[in-house]
Amino acid sequence: MTEGQRRSPGGPSGRPGQPPAGAGRRHARSGPGPDQLGALLGRVARGDQDAYAAVYDRTAGQVLGLVRSIVRDPAQSEEVTQEVLLDVWRSASRFDAELGSAAAWVMTLAHRRAVDRVRSEQKAAERELRVASSAIAYDEVAEAVEARLDRERVRRCLGTLTELQRESVTLAYYGGYTYREVAGLLGVAIGTVKTRMRDGLIRLRDCLGVDL
Amino acid sequence: MRLGGSDPHTLAGAYAMDAVPEADRSRFERHLARCESCRQEVRGLREATAALAGVTAVRPPPALRDAVLHAAGRTRQMPPTLAPTPVAWAPARRRRPGWRPRLAVALAGTLAAVAVAAGLVTYGMQGRLDQARHRDHMVAAVLSASDATMASRHVSTGGTATVVMSHRERALVFTAADLHVLPTGESYELWLISPAGTRPAGMIDGAGHGKMIGPMVVSGLAAGDSVGLTVEPTSGSPRPTSPPLMLINL
Repeated sequence: MTEGQRRSPGGPSGRPGQPPAGAGRRHARSGPGPDQLGALLGRVARGDQDAYAAVYDRTAGQVLGLVRSIVRDPAQSEEVTQEVLLDVWRSASRFDAELGSAAAWVMTLAHRRAVDRVRSEQKAAERELRVASSAIAYDEVAEAVEARLDRERVRRCLGTLTELQRESVTLAYYGGYTYREVAGLLGVAIGTVKTRMRDGLIRLRDCLGVDL
Repeated sequence: MRLGGSDPHTLAGAYAMDAVPEADRSRFERHLARCESCRQEVRGLREATAALAGVTAVRPPPALRDAVLHAAGRTRQMPPTLAPTPVAWAPARRRRPGWRPRLAVALAGTLAAVAVAAGLVTYGMQGRLDQARHRDHMVAAVLSASDATMASRHVSTGGTATVVMSHRERALVFTAADLHVLPTGESYELWLISPAGTRPAGMIDGAGHGKMIGPMVVSGLAAGDSVGLTVEPTSGSPRPTSPPLMLINL
């Protein structure tokens, strides 16, 4: 993992107020100011295609990255990403800022779609095999994630989790596994995994200073 | 409520990461509907997961942008009406003060829509009243079953399908809205899919396309079934001839 300055793929670095495309919620604490993405979604709901293009530019990198970490296959990942972004277009009117941030809304749609894809009937048998051959899958996921954990704050916060919390959260979120599968992968009781996922996310939430 | 013998609250983390298997998910959502502090917690945890998503960002291929923006230009948007959506984002419309994002309410809304549809259908079908009564009876039995669960999915070609199912009644009620209108000669067909095989579960009458469809009752549900939707010749097919446009694990 590289330390120090990160070369952002999405835009010029160091220009204030211009986060690179796909930048995470780096400034979750930056206050309750207007959620720009949320405001854009409001325009999208009214059919504004320019606003939609702006939403695309702000979210596509994150959506594709997340979907790819779960789905793996590049062609399928792009397909799912397209579905997610079209979902955003179609259902923008269903976004409600009172129920969470726009970024969380989009990423929830993305995660759900990606997970639905890998859990669909055709994949079920193959996944069971993968879960059965345990350790490899975790290393794969962990490696792929570690390599990309160059966002200081998120990495630091993940570092405050216990090992089991971190493994549980990582496998579930980036790997798209159910808690039962995670329990199988880690060789831990199901109840323990559920608790670790919740405790881990709570710790992460508190460390990131997510306002809600 | 107990899920798998443990405190349901512990599922909040797994739920926020979509790590809850389908069967537990609907049970947890019923719990969420009654538990404001749980909904609050899930929201907070989802914000945390959104931050996790940030670290995997990549640069998308330029062609994807063109494809998506082009497709959006040709895709009809959903109106801001009440519809079953994930619990944490169940709509809270200002026009309806006092509305709370509860699955129970969403379910009640669906049931009301189903009841209205059933009423309208009955009204127009005097000649087949008995049949309709039987159907209404089945609809009511499924909707009021203590183990009734609801699932809603987008249909890949457009529209939304909603299923309320009861294992105890061994039946499900299917409704759909805003389905893509099919050319003459083609209809939507419903299937029950299990590892043991795929059974036709009924043709969907073409008359209602583009609007609300159903309620249709599908009986003979077995454990492990999924319900799927395909496009088939209007005469129906003994087995699906195209990939499912929508699939719900029951």
